[in-house]
Parts: sequence; structure tokens; C-alpha cells
Amino acid sequence: MPNTATLQTGIQENLYQHIEDWVKAAKQKVCGVLFLYSANGPAHLEAQVRGILESQPDLSFEVWSNEEGILAVIMPGLTLDAVHFEGLLLKQRLQETLPDLDPRITLASFPEQGEPTESVLKQMAESAKRSVTGDIHIFSKEEVKAARSRILIVDNDATIREFLQIRLQMQGYETYEAEDGLSALEMIEKLKPDMVLTELNLYGIDGLPYINHIQNMNVSKSPKIVVLTEQKVEQTISQCFQSGVEDYITKPFSPVELDARIRRCFN
Amino acid sequence: MFSHVTVAIYFVYVCLGLIGLGIALLFYMKIKHLKMLKMKEHYRLKHQDYFKFIQSHLHENSELPVPPGKLAPLERRVIQDKLAELIEQFKGELRNRLVELCERAGFVKDEMDQLESLFFGRRVEAAYRLGNMRAHEAVPRLLQMLRKQKYSPLTIILGRAIAKAAKQEDQLKEMLTLMLRHGKPIHNLAADVLLETDLDSSKLLLQFLEDGNPDFVKVALVAMWGQAVPEVIPALDKLVGAEEKDVRAEAVKLYLSSNPVLKDETIKQLMSDNNWEVRAAIAKSLGSLHAAGSIPLLRNAMRDENWWVRNNSAESLAKLGETGFEILCETALRGSGVERETALFHIEKVMSEGADHHAVDQMVSFNKKRLLYDRYFGVTERKPVRKVAAVGGDYSA
Amino acid sequence: MEGIILLRDILLIYGLFAIYYVMTVNALYFAVLAFSFKNIMNIFRRSAYSKYNTLSGSELVPAVSLLVPAYNEEVTVIENVKCLLTLNYPNYEVIVINDGSKDDTLGVLVKEFELEKMANPEMRNSIDCQAITGVYHNPKYPHLFVIDKPNGGKADSLNAGINLSHYPLISSIDADSLLEKDALIRMARQYMENPEETVAIGGDVRIANGCLIENGQVKDFSLPNKMWPMFQAIEYLKAFLGGRIGWSSINGLIIVSGAFGLFRKDYVIAVGGYRGGYPGEDMNIIIKLHRYMLENKLRYRIAFCPEAVCWTQAPDTYHILSNQRKRWGRGNLKNMIENYDMAFNPKYKVMGLLTMPYNIIFEALNPYFKLTGLLALAGYVALDMTQWKILVVFGLINFLSGYLFSIGALLLEELAFKRFTKISDLFKMLFYGAFKFFGYSQLGTLWRIQGHIQYLQNNNSWGAMTRQSWKEKSETPSSA
Repeated sequence: MPNTATLQTGIQENLYQHIEDWVKAAKQKVCGVLFLYSANGPAHLEAQVRGILESQPDLSFEVWSNEEGILAVIMPGLTLDAVHFEGLLLKQRLQETLPDLDPRITLASFPEQGEPTESVLKQMAESAKRSVTGDIHIFSKEEVKAARSRILIVDNDATIREFLQIRLQMQGYETYEAEDGLSALEMIEKLKPDMVLTELNLYGIDGLPYINHIQNMNVSKSPKIVVLTEQKVEQTISQCFQSGVEDYITKPFSPVELDARIRRCFN
Repeated sequence: MFSHVTVAIYFVYVCLGLIGLGIALLFYMKIKHLKMLKMKEHYRLKHQDYFKFIQSHLHENSELPVPPGKLAPLERRVIQDKLAELIEQFKGELRNRLVELCERAGFVKDEMDQLESLFFGRRVEAAYRLGNMRAHEAVPRLLQMLRKQKYSPLTIILGRAIAKAAKQEDQLKEMLTLMLRHGKPIHNLAADVLLETDLDSSKLLLQFLEDGNPDFVKVALVAMWGQAVPEVIPALDKLVGAEEKDVRAEAVKLYLSSNPVLKDETIKQLMSDNNWEVRAAIAKSLGSLHAAGSIPLLRNAMRDENWWVRNNSAESLAKLGETGFEILCETALRGSGVERETALFHIEKVMSEGADHHAVDQMVSFNKKRLLYDRYFGVTERKPVRKVAAVGGDYSA
Repeated sequence: MEGIILLRDILLIYGLFAIYYVMTVNALYFAVLAFSFKNIMNIFRRSAYSKYNTLSGSELVPAVSLLVPAYNEEVTVIENVKCLLTLNYPNYEVIVINDGSKDDTLGVLVKEFELEKMANPEMRNSIDCQAITGVYHNPKYPHLFVIDKPNGGKADSLNAGINLSHYPLISSIDADSLLEKDALIRMARQYMENPEETVAIGGDVRIANGCLIENGQVKDFSLPNKMWPMFQAIEYLKAFLGGRIGWSSINGLIIVSGAFGLFRKDYVIAVGGYRGGYPGEDMNIIIKLHRYMLENKLRYRIAFCPEAVCWTQAPDTYHILSNQRKRWGRGNLKNMIENYDMAFNPKYKVMGLLTMPYNIIFEALNPYFKLTGLLALAGYVALDMTQWKILVVFGLINFLSGYLFSIGALLLEELAFKRFTKISDLFKMLFYGAFKFFGYSQLGTLWRIQGHIQYLQNNNSWGAMTRQSWKEKSETPSSA
């Protein structure tokens, strides 16, 4: 395959996105995901893991890794208990062949543990990396909930963008920013944020068609929209709610209230 | 002979001199300005960390620190501008903390000094900045400036600064008096200025509504737009019968926006008001009131000389179920001139909008209307054809 | 011999008259400029110390109908309409009037915005205009309407737009110009400061050639690279900042640029709308408004709002530019002839005693005095070569006073707006400001005379005008 090399680097750069897409494409009822990280792992670790898994009868799996040393094992069709068993097995075999290895494993099975979105997967990998004990960690639903939601901030005013970035990042959200309507639409398609926090007066596209555009976008789950704007005309506000906007906040705004309203949208 | 040309030659010299002067001035100003921009950018970068710190510690209980180090005047200005920008975006507790920071950092005092400057331009700028920093200690001085200012755009700038900074209702009231004393009908702008205040505006507006000064009443009426609270209704009741037509129109609009229960008598009276704004407002609200006597009134109002009245009446009829819709069809078929035009337009509007109703009850009511439509205009044979525009037409704006 | 001396004397006297004429014209220019200087700091303050954040989202701002006549604009119309739909303004509608375009202007609009023909559009027949063929609309873009009508000229299109418009203020905008996001709210603020007396407000028109434009936003301001637009950039600066600020301060403004102006609809209807059939309808409507208000003894003002900016594409070829200027000359003359009765009539106050005489004597007739003066002096010098100096003086007066005026306008710009960010731009302006007097000014005179001739010949075509997409231009801003 001529594209293998580029494909490989593509996976390396964007491992979680890749997994998300793969799981979706596989269309399995359930799917087990396991992340393995080892601080002192040798270069051939991936090959080792592959070897161990291949020796198992009737197990279909995929193994990928990224440059941070995170190894991802996808096992379609496996429920949580089966994944856990595979995890135990893998750990045991690895330690047999590589006694110095200190593998940290986090695993889960979807949809039992929620949606395998990019951010959830990333958080799983992080938890494997940060885990202090050698015990296998089963990623829980509660953790999924706390997975960092991604918010796209759209405003023409750099001051507002900077402030919202700082503020929302402190609340644990992952933030991105766009300064005009057209680049915002592009970013929504690319980044698939969970929420768009946006002004209505933007360059490039009129407010209402812009909102409609986001709603009708060809993404699996259209983002929640919260409008933060100077526009106070009643008619516009009601039109926004009619097109499915989650909340409408006018400027000048109270940052405390904004936090609360955003939190409410996610619950 | 040459003496005649002498004047011309002097003219040439004067021009030459002024050109030289002008060019020198141009370059001086340009270079100075560019240098200042560069310095500002430099300071902005220098204090970027401070700005970040302030923004991330806004909500904490400890005091926000003043900018570190000894600061050059331009540097202070850059920081002040940034803080003012943030203040403008926020309301509530966090804004007060920034305001308090400006005070502690001495920015308010800087500008208070500038307020006494010999240069008019500096004083106006200081007034603007003090307003942005919500510096209430400046208000008496600002009111004094506003008192001396003859009517110009600067009146509004000063008024806005006072509205932002004022901590007492009297000050706001005095500001409004000073702004309106020139007799210009600037009630909308004055309302916008007034709403900048931090004080509880609804209480203040209620007070204004009962004020003897009609200008105050008008400002209050437009400022309340779309947010008529129950407390104002008694005051509005009185104003609905006001002599002055602007006041009456605004009061009626506001009154109707609170969805009141109207007596047939009142409706009739409002529908025959000589101010078209009043008629248009009542015609609009009849659509959602479902008052029994309103249909014939609306039918008549479709012959009104004003477009808004006709349009709102037709819109209301379209909302009043099949009976209303049938009246529209009737008018479109048998009426003439403007009323027919209006009816046709709204019938088509209902028909084109109807198709996207999803809810069952909407679907049912739409289908009933469609049946009416077909009865009047036939499915194919008698589609409403637009006739040539009526002669004479409508001369209202 | 005596005959020659007599002839020489006559020539000299006429020549001197021309010199004094030019000096008077310039003295008047400077008087107007002085008024501009008197006002410029207040303009600076009102634009620098007014924030529009509360106004631009408020119900308190009057609603505006933007009227955009479009004739053969299929290349640019989509971008322009999109840009107009994103203005920082709370409540407005955009009405595009397709004036019987020969290209697919209507088609591209219908396709882009998925418009549908309205079954029974309601047109108010407030003003006479040609019957329209249809109104197009899409509820998804509630603020956009497109009128389709047979070709009837710009004035007729505007009248049709007025008949459809729903709001009490109207704003006429050329389909080839680009409004800054804040332009309309800035104008509205000025309107709200004196709503009863303000009947019209003009905006500042600037040359966009050379600027980098993205998503309807001027991202990088620089001067045009080509010669023709550069000359016009200076001309516009002189006319708008030097002239109109001054004229508006004494309420003697005679024109609100057709590219961007705001009007009270009731008064426009009261004066019968725009006049068709001739170019110069933008000046015509203002003269009519002055006349109406003065004859009915109503207090009024026609204001100028230099901080509300509209960017326009200047013609960049000789052919198109000369056509445009001839058209202006023609329209101008028509307006003067139609309204000559206002001149020197005290009933019309500033308009009758200053603006109209000024425009007739010093604007419309300017080319003839200058030209004949030059010929007289040249003849005089030809007869007596020792007097060559007088010719030089005549030339210098023309050049220096004109140049001084340019510098005055540049100073105004620098005081209030500071839009040029580079020293090199300043050099360029100064250079072209001087260079303009060696060829371009003379051409301007010629075009104006040609326009007058066309008027007398009854030639009333609009002339060539081609459009270029903003995008194309912004991608190649440096192709000189």
C-alpha cells in the first residue's frame, strides 16, 4: 500500500480522532478500547503487544500508537468484562517477556461507558499516563461526563475572545477561537466542538443564516449554540430560540452568570 | 500694469509658505503618531502577563494587584484602556472589582486632574474615560460641564459618561434634564444613554413615567420598550389618554405589549385614534387578543390610509382562525384598491408559510384555511391575479 | 498698430480678471476649508468617544431600508449583499433592485439566497415608478428583498425600492461599494441626535483600490497602485473632508453621494422621489430637499458624517473614468439649469445666497473662465514676450492654491482619522497631489466641458462601466 506511511503518520498525529472514526465505521454493537502506556517502554513494545494479541484465538483487534508513547488497542465486539480480561492477560504476558516493564492500562467498552468521542478517548489515554498504581484502571461513566467539553468561541473582538478563553479554560473546558462567521463554520466542521459560544454580529455571514447553517451541518451531533451578543432586539432573540439556540446572553454580561449558563447547557 | 499682478504674487508667496508649513506639520504628526502606536504596542506586550493574571484571578476574593513597577504615562494609559475595555464588557460583581482596581491604581485620579485641563479636548477625553471607569466622584464636575455645553454630539458623550458613573438617582435625573433642555426630540438616544446606568432602572423609569415633564415620560416610555412590568400599568392607563400624540402612541404600544384585557369600548376608541401609530399598534395586538368584536374592526381597518395599519390588521385577521382568514379571502375577492392588495399579500403569506407546520393542531388549522382558499380562488381556475396597482396609491411614509 | 495695442490691453484685462477669478475661487475654497478645520476636532471626538455597542443592538435605533440599485452586477452583487447583511445594526432590511440587467444579476441572487418570487408582493405606490416584474424573498433571509424590474435607470430603481421599503429611513447604496460594519450605526447616531430636523446624511466615500478586502472587511488599508485611482483618491479626500465638512457646517451641502446616504423617507416622498432621465440624481434630490424645506419654512439640516465610511471601486482606466466624469458634468449642468432660480434668492438662505451661486459660477463655469483666461494671457504674452511672468503667475496660482487645498485635506485626515499607516503613503499622497496639476486637472476640465457639450447635444447615455470582483482585487492588490 503506497499510502501506509502517510496513513501511519496521520494516525500518529491524530490518534484519538482516528479511533473515533474507526469505531464509528466498524458499526459494531460494542467495542472495547484499551490504552497502554509505559514510561520506559522499549521501541518494539508495539510489536510485542501485537504478538501477544495475535496468539489469542478468535480475537480481532487493531493496535496503534502515537508519538507520546501511547498505545491504543481496539477490540471490536468485546464487552467490558472481556476487555478487562484481555487487559489482565496482556499485562501478565508483557511482564513475563519484559520484566522491567511497568505498564499502565486504562480500558473501557463502548457504549457501556458512553460515547467514544475524541475528547473522551484522550482523557482515557491521559489517565493511563498519569495513573500512579500499576492496577488496571477501568474508565467509568462519571469520568466520561467530566471529559473536557470543547467550546468554540466566536467573536470579532479580540478582548472578548481572550477573556473567554482564559475563563473557560480555567473551568476545564477545551477552547478554540474564531473571529468571523466563515472561519467559525469551517472550524465547527473540522473540530466538532460540543458548544459554540458566539456573537451574532460577525463578518462574513448574517447572524440568523449562520445559526441555521450550524444546525444543518453535516456532522454527527450538531453543537449546542449559546449566543453572547450585543444584539438586544426582541425579534432577533425569538428568532434565535426558534432556530434552536440553547441560550441567549446579552452584552455587557456577568461572567459568573455566563459560567452558570454554560454549565447548565452541558447538564 | 504690474501692480495688478503684485497681489497675485503675494498670494503665491502666502501659498508657498503655508504649503511648507502644512507639509512639515503633516510629517511631524504622522511620525509622532506612528511612534506612539509603536510604544503602545510595546507596552501592551510588556503587560500581557499582567492582563492575563487579572483576567484569571477576577473571581477570587483577594484584592487585584495594581500594575507592577514604575509606569510611564503612556504605559498607564495602555493599561487603563485595557481595563476599561473589560469593564465595558462586564456587569455585576466582577466589573466592580475592575472599577475598584482602576481607582486604586490611580487612573481615576489621573483623569480627574485632566478634567481641570485648560484644553477643551483633554477635558472631554477625561470625561469619556471617567465614565468608562464608572468614577462616581467625577459626576458633579461632569454635570457642571454638561450644564455649560451647548447642544452638540459632545452633549451625548458627557451624558453617557454621567449615566455610567452616577451613583444617585438625582444625578441621573439632572443629567436627563440637562440633555433634554435644548428642546430636541432625542428621547430614544436619551433612553439609550439612561439605560447605561448601574442603578435599578425600572424603579427610576416608573418615577419618570409619573413625572410632570412630558419629555421624561417619553424617555421612560421608550426605555421600557418590550419590558412593561405589571407595576407600570396604572401609570400607563393614564397616559393612554394623553393629549400629546407621541406620548399616547408610545404609551399605547407599551400598554398593549403587556397583553392586557381590553374592553370593546377601548378597542373601538383606539382603532379610531387620529394617530396612525396608535391604530397600527392596536391592530397588531388584536391578533393575539381574540376579542369578539375585533373582526369587523379589523376588516374596516384594512381600508386605512396608512400602510402599517392595513398590514397589521391583515396580519391579525390571518391569526384569528378560519373566520379571520375567510374575511381576508372575502376582501381579496370583492374588495378593491389597497385593501385588496393587502389581503392578497397576506393570504399568500399564510399559504406559503403553512406548508412547514409540523404540529398536528397547526396542520389542522392550516388545512381548514386551505379549504377556504380553494373555495374562494379555486385550485386552478381562479388563482388570485394581481391587478394593475391602484391609481392614486398611498402617500404615507 | 493701435489695434494690436488695444487687443493686447483687452487680453491683459481679461487675463487679470481670470487671475482674480481663480484667486476668488480659491479664497472661497479656503473659507470652506476653514469651516472644516473648525469642526474637525468635534468630529474626531464624537467618533472616538462614542461607543456603538449599546446602540448597535438596541430597539431604540430607527429601522432603515437599504436600497441597492444593481445594473449588470453579477460579478460583485453576491459579495456585496452578503456584506450588507452583516452590518452592525439592530433593525434593517436590504432591498436590491435589479434594474433590467442584461447579465444574470437576478439569477445569481436567486440561486445564492434560494429566493422565491413572492406571490403578491405589496408595493406602495408612494412615488411613480415603472411597474415591477416581481419581488423575490426567502424567509431564511428575512431581511433581504430583491425587486426585478425593466430597465429604467438608477433613479427609477430607487423609487421602486422606496415603494417596497417598510421603514421610515432609507439609505441608498451603490452596488459596487462596500460599507464598513459600523457605517450605518454611526450615521444613525448622528440622525438620533437631531431626528426631527435631519432630512439627509451623507457618508464619506473612499477609494478601495489597493486595499486588502476579506469577508467584506477592509483588512489592510493602502493607497491604490494605479495612477488613475490614485488621482481620484486625492480628489475624494479633498471633496469629502475639505469640502463637505465645511459646507455641512453651514447647512449648505448640495450633494450627498449616491454611493452612501441616509434619508428620511417621508421627505423624499414629499419631494416626489428621485428624478429619472438624467445622471446626477443624488445632487438633484438634495437640491429638492433644500427647496422643499425652505419653501415650507421648516427647520432642517442636511448633515455629513465623515466617520461613516463607504469604500468604492474607482474606475482605473481612462475610458471609464472619462465617461464617469462626462456624466457628472452633464448631470451637474442639468441640475444647475433646472434650479437656477434658487441662486441669489434670499428666500433660499445659505442655499440661495452661497451654495447655488458658488456651484454655478465657480464650479459649472470654472472650466470656461480658466480656459479663456489662459488663452487670453497666452495671447497677451505672444504679443509681448517681455510679459511672460504673468503667465507663470497664473500657472502658479492655480497650482499652489490647489496644492495647498490638498494639504489642508490631508491635515484634516491626519487630525481626525489617521487611516494611512505608512510614511510612504504620505509621500505618495503629496507627490500625486502635486502631479495631479500636470495633466490630470486639465483632463478634468476637458471632461467637464465634454459633459456640457453632451448635455447640449442631448446625449443621455450612461456610458461604459465595468465591475471587478472585490475578491479578484484583493488577491492581486499589488498588480500595478
